[in-house]
Amino acid sequence: MSTQKLKEIINKVLPDVEAVIAWQEGFDKLNVTPIFITSPEQVDKVVWNAACAQNLASYLPSQKKKVAVVVKGCDSRTIVQYMQEGLIDRNNVIIIGMPCKGIISKKKVQKAINNEPVEEITFTDDSIKVKTPSGEKTLAIKDVCPSKCATCQYPTPIISDQLAADAIQSDKPAGAVYADVAELEGKTLEERWAYFAKEFDKCIRCYACRNACPMCVCQDSCIAETRDPHWITQRLTFDEKLMFHMIHSLHLAGRCVECGECERVCPMEIPVAKLKKKINKEMKELFDYTPGVNPEDKPPMFVFNVDEAKIKEHKL
Amino acid sequence: MSEVAAKELRIVGFLCNWCSYGGADTAGVGRFKQPTDLRIIRVPCSGRVDPMFVVRALITGADGVLVSGCHPRDCHYSDGNFYARRRLEMLKRLLPFLGIDDRRFHYTWVSASEGARWQQVVTDFTTRLHTLGPLHKK
Amino acid sequence: MADKGYLPKEKIKEFVEALGKDAAVYAPSLEGDTIIFRQYTPDKEIALDRPANTPPKGAIYPQCETLLNFEFKKDQATPEKMDIELKTNLDFPKAFVFGGRPCDARGFTVIDRVFINPEASDPYYQKRRENTTIITKCCNGPYAGCFCVGVGGGPASKEGSDVVMTEVDGGYYMEAVTDKGKAVMSLPMVQDGASYEAKAKEANEKATAMVRNPFPADSVDKVSPELFDSADFWDKVIAKCVSCGACTFLCPTCYCFNITDELAIMTGERIRTWDSCMFQHFTLETSGHNPRPIKNKRFRNRVGHKFYYYPEKYENAIACTGCGRCIRYCPVSVDISEIVGYLKDPKADPAQWAAEKKDAKN
Repeated sequence: MSTQKLKEIINKVLPDVEAVIAWQEGFDKLNVTPIFITSPEQVDKVVWNAACAQNLASYLPSQKKKVAVVVKGCDSRTIVQYMQEGLIDRNNVIIIGMPCKGIISKKKVQKAINNEPVEEITFTDDSIKVKTPSGEKTLAIKDVCPSKCATCQYPTPIISDQLAADAIQSDKPAGAVYADVAELEGKTLEERWAYFAKEFDKCIRCYACRNACPMCVCQDSCIAETRDPHWITQRLTFDEKLMFHMIHSLHLAGRCVECGECERVCPMEIPVAKLKKKINKEMKELFDYTPGVNPEDKPPMFVFNVDEAKIKEHKL
Repeated sequence: MSEVAAKELRIVGFLCNWCSYGGADTAGVGRFKQPTDLRIIRVPCSGRVDPMFVVRALITGADGVLVSGCHPRDCHYSDGNFYARRRLEMLKRLLPFLGIDDRRFHYTWVSASEGARWQQVVTDFTTRLHTLGPLHKK
Repeated sequence: MADKGYLPKEKIKEFVEALGKDAAVYAPSLEGDTIIFRQYTPDKEIALDRPANTPPKGAIYPQCETLLNFEFKKDQATPEKMDIELKTNLDFPKAFVFGGRPCDARGFTVIDRVFINPEASDPYYQKRRENTTIITKCCNGPYAGCFCVGVGGGPASKEGSDVVMTEVDGGYYMEAVTDKGKAVMSLPMVQDGASYEAKAKEANEKATAMVRNPFPADSVDKVSPELFDSADFWDKVIAKCVSCGACTFLCPTCYCFNITDELAIMTGERIRTWDSCMFQHFTLETSGHNPRPIKNKRFRNRVGHKFYYYPEKYENAIACTGCGRCIRYCPVSVDISEIVGYLKDPKADPAQWAAEKKDAKN
């Protein structure tokens, strides 16, 4: 079982690092929480199952000493993007790769069980059995996974020092990745504005999306909160909330690795990833660039070509 | 005589100091008539223009935004406008997705000697915006 | 005016609309899959089956409140003389908070002790509080993460409410707790409820037995000062926190705030907005000095405020109502009840948490 192999690998690398970052059981069976392992007694707490949602790679830029981190395929794209931008020293990280067939979305599971409290969960390869006060329900992972898993192109970590299970090939069509963006593009201008107006109106400016984002590294100096420069105020009007999301999305242009953390952590269930995915779709079309897949790439907003094949001059 | 509607719209223009602002100046010196809706903000280079400037202008009351810089390969700072071209193209494609008509944002390249061309750009853009109408109902 | 009433479920909308005739009603409304406390309008769908994502705190203590408006006025005759005209508005309408939970209502009592007191009362909060009637729905059982019984509350607690409702037999048994609450019960949709009282009491007792108490029976009342001051302890328990503000903004008792002046050339307003101890600039001073620059210090402040300093100042009242929102919505599932459990452990020992900081080989 891959959890056993994972624990073996962790035990092996632990002496070489300050800490190993992995997942352990959370406050209930539906939730896991990160664990920073510093001693062998803690290794037994490690879990690996479809609830392991958090992108642990986002802790890397703030680590001062050498660490090891367990990453899924989507998380590994974060590490590749960090390498492109020089945000981490590759020699200071031991990457333990965990090939993954899909995780569960807590919100979708809760909806499927009518928001009842979860008493017990059993995980199998492709399903979960949830026990609630009113009985048991089996849910296929593909029915309750976040949208990123349904179109996953990188189930096996792109970069790793060790793999804790056999590599998996993606069986999802590449064209489907931006299907949700295309769906919105098919609507009218007014419909799109109404959609975003309704969604962003729920925002409470808690900044969970920004802080959970692995590529948002400015955090303490984020211009959404500074008084100098004073881009936005603390007011809760729609304009201010939209400005914050535009700042967040624009600063991620060509850098968002589509790890989905922003949408997962939003307590108001706002689809915050839509704008970022739209920008990514344009990056792919304009510059044939996909974030987080090749450490030698350079993010498109950092560089330029003297002749841009795909950018035509706009006529009035 | 202005052929556009009597009520002025608020159009914000970000012009690079060297080429576009010079071009606007040339148009002024030559007394070329243009609509007066455009309010110009001078920046050192089109590469100084953060896409957030455009977004903030549109959200806080502008009806349209125009960005103009040196022609690619002619940037006073060598490569500022190459970066600008990428950023502004990205923004131009993002705005309609959000629900803001992308015809309200235009970026172009006008050199210091192109006074007549500047007059044309401003007139055409202003006319287009008057057709679209105000963005903010106030 | 009866003290005990019964409201059938079909009459809820009518009831809320009757309340809203000359008052603002804040009720949990379903938007997509999220339940948010909003000012009620007839197009909104009221959802009472589970706790709202947001607490009703904003109804009495808004996230953004204008303290005053100001306008600079130049004297035409002597231009260097500038007058400032100030305007405040304390004209707050009557309001109802409908459908919050007992943990939400208790949350208001925590803020009351600080904002309404003989030495210095906050007029904005006080006025709104006086004008608001709180109608609380008791819980049928626990929800993910909640632990109200561990901090002196309960799923049927009346503290902080003017009326409490318990679900029985296709409707709600209602009981008035205060005079303000009695006024609500006289609305025509509310029938006599005496016959439902016994069933409601049974439901409440059943619910109370189901809620978890995260603190074992041998926990000490006070937090261990030695462990509280141990930097190693905080390093270990809070390494995973990402320092967003979700926990504080969703908390029914958090009340820290910022005051900022927003100027637009000649006019402006002074606004008070929620602050969060999770933000880096929480204690940042104008000089640039920051007494709590790192995450560990700020999280220590959060736990200390709720479980150490506040109880010390207010006769052991705990500034946490166990609603569980911070646990549910934390991006990395930080569990405050687990951390406080360590601090209240009679065998709490900082040495156990001392970092075995091994020198990395490289």
